[in-house]
Amino acid sequence: MKNPSSKIFFTAGFILLGIVLGTFIVSLFWTPYDPSATDPASKLMAPSAMHLFGTDNFGRDTLSRVMDASKYTVFISFAGVAIALILGLLTGIPAGYYGGWTDRGIMLLSNSIMCFPGILLALVAVAVAGPSMYNVVWALGLVFAPTFARVCRIGTMELKQRDYIIHARVMGISSPRIMSVHILPNLLGSLLPATVIGLANMTLFESGMSYLGLGVQPPDASFGKLLADSQSYMTRAPWLVIFPSLMLILYILGLYFVSEGIRVRSQKGGN
Amino acid sequence: MGRKTGFIISKIAELLATLLVVSLLTFVAFSVIPGDTAQVILGPDASQAQLDALRAELGLDKPLIVQYLNWLGGLFTFNLGKSAAFGVPVASLIAERLPVTIGMSIIALIFVIVISYPLSVLSARRPGRALDQVFSVAGHILFAIPPFVLSLLSIIAASALFSGFRAGQYFRPEDNFPGFIGCLLLPSFCIALPKIAMTFKYMRSSIIEQNASEYVKNAKGHGLTDFRILIKHVLPNSNVSAITVISIVLSDILAGSLIVEQVFNLPGMGRLLLSGIARRDFPLLSGMVFYIAFITVLLYFAADVLGSIADPRIRLK
Repeated sequence: MKNPSSKIFFTAGFILLGIVLGTFIVSLFWTPYDPSATDPASKLMAPSAMHLFGTDNFGRDTLSRVMDASKYTVFISFAGVAIALILGLLTGIPAGYYGGWTDRGIMLLSNSIMCFPGILLALVAVAVAGPSMYNVVWALGLVFAPTFARVCRIGTMELKQRDYIIHARVMGISSPRIMSVHILPNLLGSLLPATVIGLANMTLFESGMSYLGLGVQPPDASFGKLLADSQSYMTRAPWLVIFPSLMLILYILGLYFVSEGIRVRSQKGGN
Repeated sequence: MGRKTGFIISKIAELLATLLVVSLLTFVAFSVIPGDTAQVILGPDASQAQLDALRAELGLDKPLIVQYLNWLGGLFTFNLGKSAAFGVPVASLIAERLPVTIGMSIIALIFVIVISYPLSVLSARRPGRALDQVFSVAGHILFAIPPFVLSLLSIIAASALFSGFRAGQYFRPEDNFPGFIGCLLLPSFCIALPKIAMTFKYMRSSIIEQNASEYVKNAKGHGLTDFRILIKHVLPNSNVSAITVISIVLSDILAGSLIVEQVFNLPGMGRLLLSGIARRDFPLLSGMVFYIAFITVLLYFAADVLGSIADPRIRLK
């Protein structure tokens, strides 16, 4: 109709993601200063030509810190989605394929997990396992697994009706082989929107957890941790809050735009 | 009538089954993880005899199934035992922190409804026009900002604009009710903003869909005013999607308040949860986790039932 075309969303989304992922890639090789190098002579300096994003209370360069933080934020979102995706595939495909009690059991479990607000579950899981980056990844992977399991289950139920799967069964191909060789590859397309949205939601959760001190642990810092560290200085040195916030927002917004583009395109294809 | 009560009864049965599974999951999760409540209460220097005595007193020496049934019974009578770290009943700790969390949720919900409804009606009148485009883009951007980041940015903005602004003030509702509401306004607004964007998006597309339908064209042909069509026909037919969205929004608001509280230094459930986590206070944590999940499940249940009242066709599915 009069809705903006998917192209606008893709362009905007990829530009925003390009900024964040570009920063991430550059940070692997180069940052203007050592992100953890302190300099008592230049504490809480406003942005200048020397320090584009200013400095923090230890005189550390904020631009370098933000670049370094992009590593953790991006890594956690991708690793968490990978775990959620694998768990979702491992539970969702059998549920959809076998049906019956397998399906009921797996769905009961995944629906019950979805009753708990995600952030609560993730916080408690990390609290129990001890706060660390890898535990955050596991906790987020578990919390998001049901979303992926649902998509896999519905997709498998649909594919199961197709002729080629029925033929494969008649030919006596084993169920695990049908699921992994014939169903799995055909599911990947339908998992794309959930994956992109999952990356955005993981980032939202991770930033909140790191902000509360239950995520990435010092001396490492993600965007959320940078925000927590700068809270006491935020009225004196607002740049400490503004730049990490901006990067965080650009990343999430970029992911949302891409997912919106996918949605608009698939709707057009359907009509 | 029979179908309606039948639907509601089956929904209640589903609700109870879900709650039972939720309680079982919560209990099992806190039983299998390492950590000993008796040890937390007595500290690291306690002797084995003391530990055993306290375990017997707390019922921790009984088989797990008995412990579960005791805990389950306690959930219904709001008797969850004593917090390991604070030494007071868990229920009273939760009750003490409820005003902030509930107050914030209600105020945020009011913001969401009062702002997103008029905006979506306005936007849906002329889809694709400049005003609609501006709202839609703003909605996308707001949706991408985590509420706690919004809170930090709004504190910076407020202290730059108003010299007298101080974040982190709190008044107890029984001492100073207007002050209590006042200190919850900004945090609630920060939680509400992304949810306003979400509700706006759903309401807008639902109204546009209704506007394009045959019955609206018919009503226009009859000479009904746009306003009357909107109030009498379009909005009631958008109720089902509104109810669903609002139940999701409310549970998100509740979860969002756990973090935003921390930014504004408010003594709500979020801070209680964090101190429970820091001290590995399992009786407190399991109680809080269950009740928060309970509220979430109840919200979805209410949405299902209200939706079926608003649109009887749902019952047939």
